[in-house]
Amino acid sequence: MTTSTRSHKVQKVLERMGKKLNRQMFGSLVACVHCGMCTEACHYVLANPDDPTYAPAYKADRIRKFFRRHYDGLNLGRFFPWWVKARSLYTDEELEELKDIVFGKCTNCRRCSVNCPMGVDYATFNRMARGLLVSVGIMPEGVAHVSKDQWEIGNQMGVLKEDYLETLEWMSEELQDELGDPNAAIPIDKKNVEIMYTINPREVKYDPRSIADAAKIFYAAQESWMMPSEGWDMTNFGLFSGDDDLGGAVARRVYEKAVELGVKKIVMSECGHGYRSTRCEGPNWAKTDVAVEMESSVLTMLRYVKEGRIKVDKTRNTESYTFHDSCNNARSCGLFEEPRELLNLVVSDFREMYPNRAENFCCTGGGGAMSMSEYTPERLKSGKIKAEQLKATGADTVVTSCHNCVDGLTDLIKHYELGIKVTQLVTLVANALVIEKKEPASKE
Amino acid sequence: MEMSPLLHFVEHPLQLGCKVFMLSIYAYRLIHLFSYMAGGERQAPTGPPGTTRAKGVVYSWANIVMPWAMESTRKKPFYYIQFVIFHLGMVAVIGLTFIIPYGPGLLNSVGLVWVLQVMMAAACAVGLYRLYYRISSKHMRAISTPDDYFSLSLLIVLFLVGVLAAPNNIVQGEGALLTFFFMTAFFLVYVPFSKIMHYLYYPFTRYYFGKTMGYRGIYPVRRGYK
Repeated sequence: MTTSTRSHKVQKVLERMGKKLNRQMFGSLVACVHCGMCTEACHYVLANPDDPTYAPAYKADRIRKFFRRHYDGLNLGRFFPWWVKARSLYTDEELEELKDIVFGKCTNCRRCSVNCPMGVDYATFNRMARGLLVSVGIMPEGVAHVSKDQWEIGNQMGVLKEDYLETLEWMSEELQDELGDPNAAIPIDKKNVEIMYTINPREVKYDPRSIADAAKIFYAAQESWMMPSEGWDMTNFGLFSGDDDLGGAVARRVYEKAVELGVKKIVMSECGHGYRSTRCEGPNWAKTDVAVEMESSVLTMLRYVKEGRIKVDKTRNTESYTFHDSCNNARSCGLFEEPRELLNLVVSDFREMYPNRAENFCCTGGGGAMSMSEYTPERLKSGKIKAEQLKATGADTVVTSCHNCVDGLTDLIKHYELGIKVTQLVTLVANALVIEKKEPASKE
Repeated sequence: MEMSPLLHFVEHPLQLGCKVFMLSIYAYRLIHLFSYMAGGERQAPTGPPGTTRAKGVVYSWANIVMPWAMESTRKKPFYYIQFVIFHLGMVAVIGLTFIIPYGPGLLNSVGLVWVLQVMMAAACAVGLYRLYYRISSKHMRAISTPDDYFSLSLLIVLFLVGVLAAPNNIVQGEGALLTFFFMTAFFLVYVPFSKIMHYLYYPFTRYYFGKTMGYRGIYPVRRGYK
């Protein structure tokens, strides 16, 4: 690899690519036959039918071209690069262009991957390319800020410990007032309990009611649970930035806290990327085997209803509802039946959205897109297909088990003037809860 | 009637040499692929009960005969039919390269010759359509490389020549057979460097993708039908 004509950053990107490649990625990079079957799987393409640069194979080739030039063994790209459109990288400007593709034109939703006849997993090597750029400091401003907060403060929204604890205290008070029970508080750092409940910092900052809703459900189920004072952020920007070191560090914080407090299970609130990061990717990034069981709060709530630990009255949720599958939940962790099962237990009017489950379209807020404001116009435009999907259901409310999706869908609904509400299962379950009010008891 | 020394050379030693070359490159390619560590999964499995790595792999491999499994093929049955016809043509052409030198007696069957010719002619027609589509669609043009055009054109011509060579009849001249085997020889040397070698990686890409998707409960795909 000659260095003289390349910028230092490009040189580093090319060197690090060799270390990042694994067998799956290598296979995905060499196996594309340019059949174009992935094209219409992408929501960006469907919203921009006249622009071929949004096609997954085209975007993938922006990464593939320098892979072919440097790492593809005996491929013609090494000897006759023009024949396979292989080309090395030379300048920082080229890295900036690549940044706009890997961050701005793809949400890593994996829909093209499940539609590829060859089994090419573009989303995986797109994430790798993001990681390569991040390693030399090239990334959207928002990604840099959020990653910094997660490294330094311990959560992606920079919520200070005092603010977090204060919010929990506030929610405890609300809950005590609502239930008329002074014992209905949110336990913090309680050792040796069954469940450590972890959340998305967005809940603390913008939607603390969802924490109170979860607490109400745990209270009704008489669960032995608590929230940790640290290691409570189960979201992980390492998933979006492609930075495995960040991913591992963030996941480890959660795992270590759970072990320290001797809990039996980590339950994650409804967050697609948080669930995927902590449950499905974290142990791999952190290179550790996690002894503590982990599950989504969707499964926890469903179990409570099925086991009769909580009673729900579906007539309390009076509107018509549809369900949006988070890409991370459905296409990367197989979580798609349980939310539907639970939804059908707490609402009377459920309307399926098509396509759904692993074939659902991205809300357009995935892959960290909500933090990359420079790409907002493209993101909103690409939401056309999702907007059409939502409209076709005729539902009043769309339910989703993902905070990113809540924001992404809210943006789309506003942009396309759909007049649909967005909510999460925890809110519906809390609303449907049948709790017999206890006689007021004195505080301990 | 005896075949000429030239035809004997292109049918036997040349083919053999080119096949050895191709297999050597394939061996190198696989060694190169396996020199990279496979990414593993430390987490406990996710997804509906009953989904496993093994089921995911089987489903992923079986995907090729399940056009309903992916939206991309389910919504485009015409494309899937093209895929089937084109690859059956490949089977016929590859079969012919073995039948003519090693089992020419089989071609005494007019029926078999006809079957092979129909398969290759149909594949040739599909190839022409695919070439037209690749040129006329702006999305396809954007993702196409010279190798894509050349590989497809090469196969179209090979199918055509295969149709002419299938009767294995040298009474009216050896032109068709010589062209077929010279082309096949070139093909054997070119393929390991071109997109056509995708079939070498196919079992592995689908294996690993299926393994991941099975372990995570996505494969076999479940969906609510409309």
